[in-house]
Amino acid sequence: MSTAILSRQAAPKSPAARAVREFFSNKLAVIGVFIVVALVVFSFIGPLIYQTEQVSTNLMQADLKPGEDGHPLGTDGLGYDVLGRLMIAGRTSILVGLAAGVLATTLGTLWGSVAGYLGGWVDATMMRIVDAGIAIPGIFLLLVISAIVRPSEWMMVLIIGAVSWLVPARLTRAEALSLKSRDYVLAIKATGGSNSRAILRHIIPNTIGTVVVNATFQVADAILLIAYVSFLGMGLQPPATDWGAMLTDGISSVYSGAWWLIFPAGIAIVLIVSAFNFIGDGLRDMFDVRGQS
Amino acid sequence: MSNDHKRLKVGLAAGMTAFALLLTGCAGGSTANEPTTSGSAATVPAGVDTDAVNYALPPNATPNWILPIGTAGKMATHNSSIAQALWSPMMTFDGSKGEMKLDLETGIADKMDYAADGKSVTFHMRDMNWSDGEPITTRDVEFWFNLIKANKETWGGYKEGRLPDNITDIKYTDEKTFTLSFDKVYNQDWMSSTQLTSIKPLPQHVWAKTSDDAKVGDEDRTEAGAKKIFEYLSKSSEDMASYATNPLWKVVSGPFTLSAFDNSGKVTLSKNEKYDGSDAAQVATVNLLPFTSADAEVNLLRSKGIDYGYIPTSLMDQKSQFESNNYQIDPWEGWAVTYMPYNFNNPKLGDTFKQLYVRQALQSAIDQPTISKVIWKDGANPVYGPVPQDISSPYLSDEQKNNPYPFDIEKAKTLFADHGWKPGADGVLVCEEAGTAENQCGEGVKKGTKMDLTMMVQSGSDEADKQFAAIQSSFREVGVAVTFDRAPLNTVLNRTAPCESDSADCAWEFSYFGAAGSWYFPAYPTGERIFATDASVNFGNYSNTDADKLMDDALTTNDSKTMQEYSALLAEQLPVMWLPNPVYQVSVIRDGMTGTTQDPTANFFPQRWGWNK
Repeated sequence: MSTAILSRQAAPKSPAARAVREFFSNKLAVIGVFIVVALVVFSFIGPLIYQTEQVSTNLMQADLKPGEDGHPLGTDGLGYDVLGRLMIAGRTSILVGLAAGVLATTLGTLWGSVAGYLGGWVDATMMRIVDAGIAIPGIFLLLVISAIVRPSEWMMVLIIGAVSWLVPARLTRAEALSLKSRDYVLAIKATGGSNSRAILRHIIPNTIGTVVVNATFQVADAILLIAYVSFLGMGLQPPATDWGAMLTDGISSVYSGAWWLIFPAGIAIVLIVSAFNFIGDGLRDMFDVRGQS
Repeated sequence: MSNDHKRLKVGLAAGMTAFALLLTGCAGGSTANEPTTSGSAATVPAGVDTDAVNYALPPNATPNWILPIGTAGKMATHNSSIAQALWSPMMTFDGSKGEMKLDLETGIADKMDYAADGKSVTFHMRDMNWSDGEPITTRDVEFWFNLIKANKETWGGYKEGRLPDNITDIKYTDEKTFTLSFDKVYNQDWMSSTQLTSIKPLPQHVWAKTSDDAKVGDEDRTEAGAKKIFEYLSKSSEDMASYATNPLWKVVSGPFTLSAFDNSGKVTLSKNEKYDGSDAAQVATVNLLPFTSADAEVNLLRSKGIDYGYIPTSLMDQKSQFESNNYQIDPWEGWAVTYMPYNFNNPKLGDTFKQLYVRQALQSAIDQPTISKVIWKDGANPVYGPVPQDISSPYLSDEQKNNPYPFDIEKAKTLFADHGWKPGADGVLVCEEAGTAENQCGEGVKKGTKMDLTMMVQSGSDEADKQFAAIQSSFREVGVAVTFDRAPLNTVLNRTAPCESDSADCAWEFSYFGAAGSWYFPAYPTGERIFATDASVNFGNYSNTDADKLMDDALTTNDSKTMQEYSALLAEQLPVMWLPNPVYQVSVIRDGMTGTTQDPTANFFPQRWGWNK
């Protein structure tokens, strides 16, 4: 008996279990999960263990090098401890990124499902709105809105969500167009089931694979968008900060060798964005397996 | 989202960081270098062309006007400095020689005497010639006056009641002497520095015509003729492509002639070999280089392509890198003050701002010396009152110089506590004792008023952002909450205007537009345009009858005590929130270069630049 046959026999039979196994067989996806968990712990648990002053400035302690005066990663131009600030900034980036990603995905999924399921003039109108929205660069909209309203954490969630829901709307609409001709959906219609019941109970649950995979990318995109906006100086009010804002603050120090103002925030952004993308890839493989079952 | 799209974003993020890391890594190595030398007495580095000087113009400051009578929009200092290098003024009043004073050595006037009654001044001109050999005479002065009088509405330097309106009579005694009579007695420093420095003899024997082919005559002696001549000269000045070739601009009285002017705005000045004044050029050629951004200029500076350039204040901590490239850093202090107006007409907080103790408390919560040193890296200096204080002058009072409100958080807290303010649940001060008694909040301040401020701040300046983060932090300690409304400079200026409390545009509380200095003064630094009641640039509607009187008196008396009293009064009364004053620019000057004393009024004098050979 060959090894292949043996392993096939040993494989779990439940589709969900196979999917989970498929996910964990993707090493990059596992690394992604590990990075996200590590950064979440670092950002949310870290400040409880490593306590620093991150509200009041201390100009007497400004621009200290790593290791000086008990600051492992030095201090920035306002005297904030960089390691502590990295934790606080991570909390904002992750929280706003997750919330904005979830908001964009939820909004996009509902919009796309309704458009795809109802079809006709409703679909045409709703998708032309999406097309128009996609035609305007998201970063431009974001900067304009940031200039009009005063950015707070929740305002950033709303703004980023408002410019990011268009892609999930398109994806979900494509899925909905296919799903609405399935027998079980037609049966709902034939038995007098309402449109909302068909959409909420049958269309959306069956797009979950696409939605979840896309959601991970949305979170990664949202974190990058926060970084862009903060990098361009339109981010949160001080003393709040995020990794993009930290990178902006440090960028003027590139020629003075103050690596501790750039490396940590820059690496954190790369890590979290990469990790969510790895997870997204893993989830896509996982749902592909479920689709095969 | 496609995988390609996704990877592009990951790649961009990684690339952005990698680029920053690469720069940081490279820079880390170079900071180890020690500066080699500094000071103008240093030797000129090998390979430097000592017959020329390459000077960097400010970013986006391309010269666009050559006629030495500036019109609206053409009054930038680089235009006037270039014009002054070609056509000498009658006299100057500036800080180009290290002190703000009248300078009779470098212009055409040899002597100027105010009459004993102060109502006239007589000029005696040197024996100087135009570059074509013709003598410079009072006819050339008359030509300038005729053009100005007939075209005063077009002249950018005109204000109603000022030159030429305040000159009641001009008497040309002979070819080298003339007397101006005034409508009343003026402060002589003010008259000399802001009015008479405008007088510039122009080559009447070449310019007094109405077209290229017309004959030169006396048409300027009629108003209609002077208008036509000015129109012709202005039209010629608009044709930038012909600056270096038009015969009009070839006849000069200054230390330079114009030898090239290209489309990008690069200007080449050549030594005027026929110049017979006392301020001759020290080098054969001066190249004035235009830049579209400060980054572009800094890049050329790093590659040693500029002799006299500048860096942003944020690069002050990289001083040693430039010094190791044989440059010296020399902050160019401006004749300016920096401040943030309170909107005294703001419907929500205007009455609160009118309370002197509130302004005193807020001013006491700003640590200007530390902000200047740490955040601006010594590229800014504290300001405690209305007179520029980076450069010594007879106008500065001891009260202003000695800072009446030093940084003291406890004092700020006490001032609020003593006037009926108590911290609310969120720690922000609330007026609990409304009323006008000494221990109450003051007239017009309602019970429940919260010290929750919004500051409109210009964006784009790292130092300004950090400065306001530090101010926000110290204000928080006092119990004053601050929120920022950031916008580009032009937006901030558009939203900041004197307003009535019931108008829609009066919602702003504070406005900061001072990342490059809020207000640059002429040599005589009176504040009638920014602090006088109802003045057009008195954005916050500050009004103080004592200050108004002192500002009026300062224009008509010669006693510098009046200016000192004005300085002391407004240092104490805080019409605005005083903030650190950034330098005009942080100059980076090649070792061995001489004649680089920097004029606080922001003019430059290329004829004085040379090399320590």
